[in-house]
Amino acid sequence: MKKKILVANRGEIAIRIMRAIQELDYEAVAVYETPDKDSRHIRTASEAVFLGDGPRCDYLNIDKVIKAAKHSGACAIHPGYGFLAENPDFAKACEEAGIIFIGPSSEVISNLGNKVIARKIMADAGIPMVPGTPNLSMGEDGVQEALTFAGKYGYPIMLKATCGGGGRGIRLIESDEQMRKEIPVARSEAKAAFNDDSVYLEKVVLNPKHVEVQIIADKEGTTIHLGTRDCSIQRRNQKLIEIAPSMIGDKELLDKICQTAVKAAKASNYTNAGTVEFLIDKDYKYYFMEINTRVQVEHTVTEMITGIDIVRTQIKLALGKTLSFTQDDVQLRGHAIEMRINAEDPQADFMPEGGKTVSLYRSPGGYGVRLDGFVYQGYTIPQVYDSLLVKLTVHGFTWNETVSRVRRCLQNFDIAGPKTTIPFYMNIVQDPDFMRGDFNTSFLDTHPQLFEYKEAPNEAEKLSKLIAEIHHRGLNPYAL
Amino acid sequence: MERIIQGMAPSEVVDKLRKADGYYITNTARDLSQSDFKNRILLHTDLLAAPSRERAGYFSLEITGGASVHVDILRKQVDPFLKLELLREKMPKTMFQTLCRGVNLFGYRPYPQNVIRFTVREFAKYVDVWRTFDFMNHIPNMQAVFEEVAKAGKINEPCICFSTGPEHTDDFYVKKVKDIIDVTGNDIILCIKNHGGLGSPQRIGQLVDAIKQDYPELPIHYHGHNTDGNDIGRIAAAVINGASIIDASDSSMTGYYGPPPSLTVIQTLKELGYNAIGINEDAVIETSEIIRDQRQYYAAFESQIKGFQPTVQIHKLPGGAMGSSLEQAAKGGFLDKMPDILHKELPRVQKELGNYWSVTPGSQILWTTAVANVQGGERYGTPSGDLRNLLLGKYGPFPFYQPEEWIYEKVLGADWKKVLEKEGGMDEIADMDLDHERVSLSEKIGHEPTDQQLVLYLQHPNDAVNFFKFEEKFGKVYVLPPSIFLHQGKFNVGTTLSFTDHYGKEHVIEIGPSMVNEGGESNVYLNVDHHQRIYSFAPEAKAGVAAAAMVLSKEEILTLAKNGDIRAPFAGNICEISVKEGQEVAAGEQVAMMEAMKMQTPVVSAIAGIVTTISVKVGDAIKPGAKIAKVDIDE
Repeated sequence: MKKKILVANRGEIAIRIMRAIQELDYEAVAVYETPDKDSRHIRTASEAVFLGDGPRCDYLNIDKVIKAAKHSGACAIHPGYGFLAENPDFAKACEEAGIIFIGPSSEVISNLGNKVIARKIMADAGIPMVPGTPNLSMGEDGVQEALTFAGKYGYPIMLKATCGGGGRGIRLIESDEQMRKEIPVARSEAKAAFNDDSVYLEKVVLNPKHVEVQIIADKEGTTIHLGTRDCSIQRRNQKLIEIAPSMIGDKELLDKICQTAVKAAKASNYTNAGTVEFLIDKDYKYYFMEINTRVQVEHTVTEMITGIDIVRTQIKLALGKTLSFTQDDVQLRGHAIEMRINAEDPQADFMPEGGKTVSLYRSPGGYGVRLDGFVYQGYTIPQVYDSLLVKLTVHGFTWNETVSRVRRCLQNFDIAGPKTTIPFYMNIVQDPDFMRGDFNTSFLDTHPQLFEYKEAPNEAEKLSKLIAEIHHRGLNPYAL
Repeated sequence: MERIIQGMAPSEVVDKLRKADGYYITNTARDLSQSDFKNRILLHTDLLAAPSRERAGYFSLEITGGASVHVDILRKQVDPFLKLELLREKMPKTMFQTLCRGVNLFGYRPYPQNVIRFTVREFAKYVDVWRTFDFMNHIPNMQAVFEEVAKAGKINEPCICFSTGPEHTDDFYVKKVKDIIDVTGNDIILCIKNHGGLGSPQRIGQLVDAIKQDYPELPIHYHGHNTDGNDIGRIAAAVINGASIIDASDSSMTGYYGPPPSLTVIQTLKELGYNAIGINEDAVIETSEIIRDQRQYYAAFESQIKGFQPTVQIHKLPGGAMGSSLEQAAKGGFLDKMPDILHKELPRVQKELGNYWSVTPGSQILWTTAVANVQGGERYGTPSGDLRNLLLGKYGPFPFYQPEEWIYEKVLGADWKKVLEKEGGMDEIADMDLDHERVSLSEKIGHEPTDQQLVLYLQHPNDAVNFFKFEEKFGKVYVLPPSIFLHQGKFNVGTTLSFTDHYGKEHVIEIGPSMVNEGGESNVYLNVDHHQRIYSFAPEAKAGVAAAAMVLSKEEILTLAKNGDIRAPFAGNICEISVKEGQEVAAGEQVAMMEAMKMQTPVVSAIAGIVTTISVKVGDAIKPGAKIAKVDIDE
């Protein structure tokens, strides 16, 4: 009997993981909720377990997922990103059920998922961090702590939910008055969202670059890094475009950041693959932000420049293997750019286009091009999940070559039905600052012209609708 | 002599015309389309013809104006401005000409001054020669257009509308020419607009000569129609007597009511010693060869009655209205009554209503009145709103004499003298609030409109919005040839259709099978650029059921009206709702305005009372007997 691994996720990442499983000659088990019954990840797996009507609640249901793994005979679970990926209770449930959780231990997830504990671990290890507070005390005491912190470091300041993440549970505070008002609001929101009303403060680094380091560690304590990624181009704290390696010219600085990341991982007893995130300010000072204890959406760019299959490595490490390569084996070659092709309307504040049917889908290919997607012609995008259709990852020898390859690929896409981020990306790849590699997290705000484009009209789509009607009625009702 | 080229100053053009040793030709493709193909010749065909028409060396191509602006958006689904832009790309040298109905622009009733000026300004960006007329030859009705055309640096070509009869003397027309020049100055072209193709060659020759006697420096453009088959005779007489420009079009498309074939004109006049200036005969012939193949796809829009109509000299219908009149007769099932209508009633009505010029919108008033007189039993018993306006002098004063009193009484009622005194005369039409209209259009289409879109909306509010929505849904459909756009019946399975879209991409569409599922929904399979697509169509409502419920006799509608239940007297569109719910109305007071066959007719309350319900909204297309409003007697 082949080993079975259950993938507790959906969409493109489920397929990405299943490909690695199949390449290892194991069998992949899918899970799904009702709105995903036509999703391609089900068809990619060798078998699929129906979890329930959802939406989302069944993918998040630890008992159902564990039961599905047991029922199908899976020995391990890969959680992907989102859903249960960074839920320590899930990792723990797997451990208790005798199922291998592909990721770090539940303890590591728990420690790093708690912002305050994580900060303490890093502080003890001497990792540079943005000035911040421990969890604020309850009531007026906490408010006073906050105001004292503000007096010392000045506004703006981030008020964060200790258990938040992924851009959720964050608010920007610009005055004492606002601080007083927002702390209770943030608490009640955090309580509702994360069942924990702890909040803390962090000094805001204005318009930083978001640079992260892919790390990977085995159970024997060997920890190596796979270089940097720049994820500065974001909207509302959600990444849109990721680049490897960072375009910062100072190689020594990048190397120092990578060493710091390895140190941070070791300090937290990290195993398996993870990402250490940093902010870099305008003076190129860098600060630790957090460690993501999962495979990232943007892991593909690192794979492209290192040649290392991160997901395959994750599985092998989880199944007890040690790292088969050393830090010296890791060579960064060229540049990679990933663009998230989302079913969203950038001109309408990235309004999701869920519910629409992809009536035409043609994708690019060729040298240096990788697609991680699950969309197909005729697919109706469920309204209840995220709007990612396909990730375009492009590799090139030079930065210029890579940018032009991305541009060519965006042109080669032909998607009808939902609006997508493609025309918006077309503007980005033609933007002089982007082409120079010069961007930070304020990129979208400082480049409003990126939103000025005309949707490339798909005339064949429209005209054939009229031809169908003429044919159906036996006359053209619009020419009578 | 060299040809006249787009971009020359009006004074330079007029100067060249004065010195012309021969005559120029305007290709009246628009008038041909309107007169012989119910305005359906598509931009696709005009684009096919464009390169050779450009080389043919015409004075101008008359390609917009008249009813075409409306039909472009209503039935051809093409933007009239985009049409000019695309043709200009292929025809940089040829001047474009329009036909403008003065205050009525390209429509059927007067527009506010600011709308007229805005519209002319926008079209003048593409149109070089402005042929402007008024069906009453009432010059103030054309003044705003003259002024805006001059301001835009384009060429004014004012018309004297021509007709026949004892009042239509040379003296009358020469005086009209004087009145025009008094307003426009000398740098114009004068058009003799013979929209019916009336009079003999000798009559036209005399008129040209009479004008030339008084205005030897005034270039004359003779415009005629070949309805009686003799326009080439009139053209020859006009040129011999000094006309500088004449109208004709491509022979392979000529029919019975539009312009005559240009090549025949060229050949005829050559032997008489008159040279067609700038004309490349080979290119004239080539154009006809190129578009000949397309004619078969327009067959459904050609005249219901074949053959020339020398009796036009009796009924005087303009060539541009022949097609639509015959179409209306065919659809209305009274084609058999056409001899009576055309040869007896129409000339009679014409005389009774003052022998003015039978051209839009005056020709529609004559036609509708004549049809109603024959169909309705009692003459002038069911007058249209526009006939009422005509008698009230809303279009301008009667040129020769007023209709007899009994007609006023029939149309305006027993106290017609009071009505005439109170309501008579031309209205000062208030300017529209263009900013407000822009906002209301942007609400309807969901984005800020362009100036061009606003112009179309001001002309035809409902049809323009429908067109904008059509284009959003179906794209730029002018790229489809008539063999597709006007296709009749289903395509054969396996048929391959190919075309290049507006953005230059080529597409291939293959017709696949169609299937009806158990729900009655039809699925049409197409292979679009080698990818299979399915289009679903909901089952069509059983027409019989709805129709059966609707049928009310004229008597029933009248009876209901007396009870305050106001029903549509005929099929048409609601173009205005004049009352609000809860409003008091008097007997005879207008509650709504309906439009059918381009004519507006008020719908009035038969009783005094309070409007309790309004069942329609502006733009609704309703059937006879449909509920419009309910009025309760106020007790």
